[in-house]
Amino acid sequence: MAQIKAGNIAKGMFIIYKQAPHQVMKTEFMNPGKGSAIMRTKLKNVATGTVSEFTFKTNEFVEEAEVDKSERQFLYQDGGDFVFMDPRNYEQVSVPGRLLAGKEKLLTTNLAAIILILDDQPIGVRLPPNVVLKVIEAHEAVAGNRINAPKKPVIMETGLEIQAPLFIKTGDKLSIDTDTGEYLARVN
Amino acid sequence: MKTWQRLKQEPGLWPQYRLREQVLETIRQFFKQRGFHEVQTPLLLPIPGAEPNLEVFETELRTATGKKRRAFLAMSPEYAIKKLLAAGGGNCFEITRSFRNEEEVAVGHSAEFTILEWYHTGVDYLTIMETAEALITTVIKLRQPNLKAWQYQGKYYDLTCPWPRYTVASVFDKYAGIAIETLVSESELVEATAKKGYQVEKQTTWEQAFYQIYFNEVEPKLKALSRPYFLVDYPVQQAALARKKADDPRSAERFEVFVAGVELGNCFSELTDWQEQAQRFKADLKQRQHAGKTLYPMDVDLIEALKSGLPETAGMAVGVDRLIMLAGDLPTVAETLFFPTKELFDL
Repeated sequence: MAQIKAGNIAKGMFIIYKQAPHQVMKTEFMNPGKGSAIMRTKLKNVATGTVSEFTFKTNEFVEEAEVDKSERQFLYQDGGDFVFMDPRNYEQVSVPGRLLAGKEKLLTTNLAAIILILDDQPIGVRLPPNVVLKVIEAHEAVAGNRINAPKKPVIMETGLEIQAPLFIKTGDKLSIDTDTGEYLARVN
Repeated sequence: MKTWQRLKQEPGLWPQYRLREQVLETIRQFFKQRGFHEVQTPLLLPIPGAEPNLEVFETELRTATGKKRRAFLAMSPEYAIKKLLAAGGGNCFEITRSFRNEEEVAVGHSAEFTILEWYHTGVDYLTIMETAEALITTVIKLRQPNLKAWQYQGKYYDLTCPWPRYTVASVFDKYAGIAIETLVSESELVEATAKKGYQVEKQTTWEQAFYQIYFNEVEPKLKALSRPYFLVDYPVQQAALARKKADDPRSAERFEVFVAGVELGNCFSELTDWQEQAQRFKADLKQRQHAGKTLYPMDVDLIEALKSGLPETAGMAVGVDRLIMLAGDLPTVAETLFFPTKELFDL
């Protein structure tokens, strides 16, 4: 297993904390002024979902968990689970909805995502930086409100509602940032 | 979008940014009413502070005739003001910029920041605690006059004075089970840290052990309180420029003040003994060298000033940007600035 300095811990990494794999949710490198630098972290136990906070000395060693990252295609939703497939051998993996952390409505059939696997268990999903979705509902912009709010709500094929520019119409295809869930561009 | 562009698009944001002007004016009035002189000290210095854990901005001063000097941006106005105190300047304050390099980009930090320092002669840190409470609540009341139920980021706090004072030893005892004898002992504190299960190596220092316990076990408990508080009497290892307590030389007359979990300022009963100051400077500069920080000589001019006689003084530094952030109920210091450093430099 790889050892890293706590000062190099970054958001999204998986580390071993108290003998259990944890995903790094948040980091804050701090120089308290009167003391030497520290690394504050917020860690989520990948098995239980329990979140804890821990402050490391930046020079202490931390074990990075060996997480397998491989590309899978999204197939369908099965109750609370999301089923992905390995396009090479058609093997399927069922990902619990909590791992998608509110990004369920960015998934479309055949979307390629990275599934993170630790000890044969899916522990996370990384979507591509942006996805393309079709608009199924977009109202005409209301006149007179164009200066301070040059955007309007539109509904996408997956049920996702986003704020889009006034010129967007039903049937348009939009590129959406999967990190922020915000509109990026029209890609018709 | 840049802050100026957002202001142009949403004029309703101006009051958020104009709070700074009100706070600066309030601080000036506060000290002028108490007879303090406002002073101005240099931002460009030949020798900056000796703080072992801070990094400095270095540049070069060149004259038209080819003279070259190393030059640094001030990390605090402290040394310059102390020279004025030694010269007989008396009670004074300064609101100025200070610069610290290699800091994290975080909610409460900026490489360039506004600092308030005030120095009160003939008193010790106990008087400064009262002044600090009065000043901070005066500023807070600009936007929220009800101190009993002051709201910051959705949480309520009771800011009525006087604020609780906790010694560092008492909170380490209460929240981490570390007795004062262990806390002040170089070897015992590191040992206690190892026993608690923290990673300890041969080179782990007292100060690293102190902060690891503080940040993991003490600070979360203090942050959960709904009162502001003073953390007082730091172990001498954390004395910096504070004098030792007369009745317990294991601690120094230093405090920090916290509001809504945010560290707002730091105060010392100032060390006036030039020999001890010279020793601490040497130790600090050695630590800078060890940590790979920019090196420069000791400020012997300050030692000269102390030698010539510094009156008994207590002084305090307050992070003005953080104070504005709290007063304006804003989540980060960047939202108090027209031109946040992280926006200017794309950090």
